[in-house]
Amino acid sequence: MTPVIAARNLAKWYGNVLGLSDVTLEIEPGVTGLLGPNGAGKSTFLKLLTGQIKPSIGEVSILGRPVRGDASLYSRIGFCPEQDAFYEEMTGREFVTSLLVLHRFSAAEAKSRAERALGIVDLLEDADRLIKAYSRGMRQRLKFAQAIAHDPEIIILDEPLNGLDPLGKRKLIRLVREFRDEGRTIIVSSHVLPEIEALTRTIVLIHQGKIFARGDVHEIRDLIDTHPHLVSIRCPEPRSLAARFLADDHVLKVDFGPDGRSLLVETNNRDLFFSRLGRLIVADAVEVEEITSPDDNLQAVFDYLVGK
Amino acid sequence: MKPYLDSLRRVCSVFWKLGRQARRTKFFFLFSQLPAGVALIFRLNVLFSGRASATGFYLFTNIIMFFYLQMIILVLALFYGTSVCSEEVEGRTLPYLTTRPLPKSAIVLGKYAAYTAIAAGMTALGLILSFLVLNFGDFSGRAALALARYLGVLVFGLVSYGALFTFLGSALKRSVFFGLLFSFGWENVIQYFPGSTQRLAIAHYLKSFLPAPPSGRFAFLTFRLEPTPPGLSLLILGLVTLACLALAGLVFSKKEYILED
Amino acid sequence: MTIRDKGYFHWEGTLRERRLAWWPITRLGLRLAFKRKGFKLLYFGAFAPALGFLVGIYISERIGEFRYMIRGSSQLFEVNPAFFKAYYTSDFLLFMMVMLMVVGGAGLIADDLRHNALQLYFSRPLEKREYLAGKASVLVVFLLTVTLLPGLAFVLFKLLFSGSFRFIVSYPWILLSVTAYSAAVTAVFCFYTLLLSSLSRNRRYVSILLFAVYLVSDILFRIFYGNFKNPAFALLSLKANLQQTGAFLFQQKPPYDLPVGWSILVLAAAGAAAFLVINKRVRSVEVVK
Repeated sequence: MTPVIAARNLAKWYGNVLGLSDVTLEIEPGVTGLLGPNGAGKSTFLKLLTGQIKPSIGEVSILGRPVRGDASLYSRIGFCPEQDAFYEEMTGREFVTSLLVLHRFSAAEAKSRAERALGIVDLLEDADRLIKAYSRGMRQRLKFAQAIAHDPEIIILDEPLNGLDPLGKRKLIRLVREFRDEGRTIIVSSHVLPEIEALTRTIVLIHQGKIFARGDVHEIRDLIDTHPHLVSIRCPEPRSLAARFLADDHVLKVDFGPDGRSLLVETNNRDLFFSRLGRLIVADAVEVEEITSPDDNLQAVFDYLVGK
Repeated sequence: MKPYLDSLRRVCSVFWKLGRQARRTKFFFLFSQLPAGVALIFRLNVLFSGRASATGFYLFTNIIMFFYLQMIILVLALFYGTSVCSEEVEGRTLPYLTTRPLPKSAIVLGKYAAYTAIAAGMTALGLILSFLVLNFGDFSGRAALALARYLGVLVFGLVSYGALFTFLGSALKRSVFFGLLFSFGWENVIQYFPGSTQRLAIAHYLKSFLPAPPSGRFAFLTFRLEPTPPGLSLLILGLVTLACLALAGLVFSKKEYILED
Repeated sequence: MTIRDKGYFHWEGTLRERRLAWWPITRLGLRLAFKRKGFKLLYFGAFAPALGFLVGIYISERIGEFRYMIRGSSQLFEVNPAFFKAYYTSDFLLFMMVMLMVVGGAGLIADDLRHNALQLYFSRPLEKREYLAGKASVLVVFLLTVTLLPGLAFVLFKLLFSGSFRFIVSYPWILLSVTAYSAAVTAVFCFYTLLLSSLSRNRRYVSILLFAVYLVSDILFRIFYGNFKNPAFALLSLKANLQQTGAFLFQQKPPYDLPVGWSILVLAAAGAAAFLVINKRVRSVEVVK
């Protein structure tokens, strides 16, 4: 099956500065989070995907077709750029409508699609105000509106949650999930980990122009052997519980919480540990109040891979 | 071909609307009506003093027309021509256009067409107003034909200069600087040169459509000219325009524009 | 002793502020201007007339040796106030000054408006007059180096080549005239450039305006003068007003039959109006309705 987006040995230099190095990647339908710190190469990758710049080496294709030189592909792609830039003397409605006209929709259809897109992002009330009077959040929503107005099957969002208030962020996250459920392909780039975590479990981690990891967050975590898993257990008798698995080879370290009611276990085999813990709770009636994995999240994965 | 023309038309219609409502268009509109203001002052002077230093037609052909030809259309073409590409790059709105299903060259040509039409509309209005003001009550068929001819020259001028500056805007970062040097340096200086060197200026071919100017007090606006036949002038202007537009389309399609963050 | 070992102590000294708040703005403006590729060429090109006139001063002192080259009147090479006036009011020098403003000055305020940098400036202990002084100083540096410096060089080289102080004795006011005219033309172009730069966020638009307004004012003057034969129309032209002022300061016959005071008044009024507009445009908060 042809992947929706495929990049092979993709590299980009800006003069002597390396933007992206040897990226080979396939993206399937669903939401893929592109994660990395500022300057990692996320925007470079997205610009290569959308054909705004050409690769120094390698190739990128969308739906089996090379991006650059095939303008018809753009009718199936919606792009929300990172820059806060607009035709400031247009109103929001004019902006979305004009860009729809460029998509070969008739004037009437462009108008109705613009209306729908602006309604989705809650900008209908302010649609006839000049863009230069919009707040930061409104401008961000307008960018999203122009990206989805023509119903693209592939949506590329570069830092889409920048400038949105918490309510706006929730709404956009919900929208992205709806698009995912419709079978569309969405790529979201961000440097804010909780945002990506809220959107998807499938991530591509970019740092210094290279891909450090890709796949499911939890699967990636499991593969990071160099950093044992942490499991935090809250219980009335932490020392008594700890004594029961100190002899196990996969338990590397046990720390006790300052309140005397928790322990932090370091293990290099999380599955085995949980199975052991489960048997202890059932067989020995050990009382446990809470079990969490403090580092089974994107932040930990990111920190471990980036080397913090 | 039809889809390409359709893309051109769409881009043109979007930027025709955007260009017309832009604030700067209001300024350039006033600027393009300056000669009409001058014409009005001349006319009022004749009305109040009862004396005319020259006929309205003479003033129109020797002052107003050359004011447009050597100043107004250069400024309009320079601004609108360089804006085709530069304003998208400076304003960072380029991704909105390059991620639409449009051939890249259609973007630049469609915008050029829209902006040239706006500039031509402003210029035509000013020229017609100036003509009517100066020839009020003295309108003849010959004068009307002359007006059509002069209008044609100015439109050719906007089309040719606009194409050149569109190419400069797509290829160079400092397009305005080079455009100013060309318009008010090269185009002015080269006209002092006799013989074939004059043919290296667009202004020469435009002036070839006009009747030979008399020497006299407005000679600072009109210079010695050995005209090229009008047919050949039209051909050369057409070739220059097509070449510049083709180059602009090619450069815009191939070049990577790095936008400021 | 490190501060950690010293511990807290009360400092009895006086707090001295650096109050050349405009200087970093000027320094940045100069650095940015010279970073542009074409600017250096343009800037040094602006000295071309000065070099030509310097050669003229040399020739004037060795006129006998060059007589075979100079047919006709050697008045051309007489170094007198008319010589200075010819340099200062030459079309080429004024054109080069406008080009310097286009390349080096168009973006001074326009770029700050575009990037919303005024809020950054005025959130520091910086007053508006210091900001404007900093911006104006960039232009002052460019303009004075092509006006005041060459004028002083002409006087110096005249004295050196002639080997006597006769020139200064004959025209004791010449240095004052050079300084006054340099200051006047610098002030005029400063206000002119800052006014247009403050009117738009688009540097490209300002560049074209700088050129167009200068040229159009002169074209309008010549059109009206050609038709009405009234020298009062010279007041419309920036160039003509500067030429009138130059002629007055170098005690020469003004090129147009018009009281010089009117030209000076027009320039002063334009400068004042420009200042009012600039003052209104430069503010830290923009209200968008």
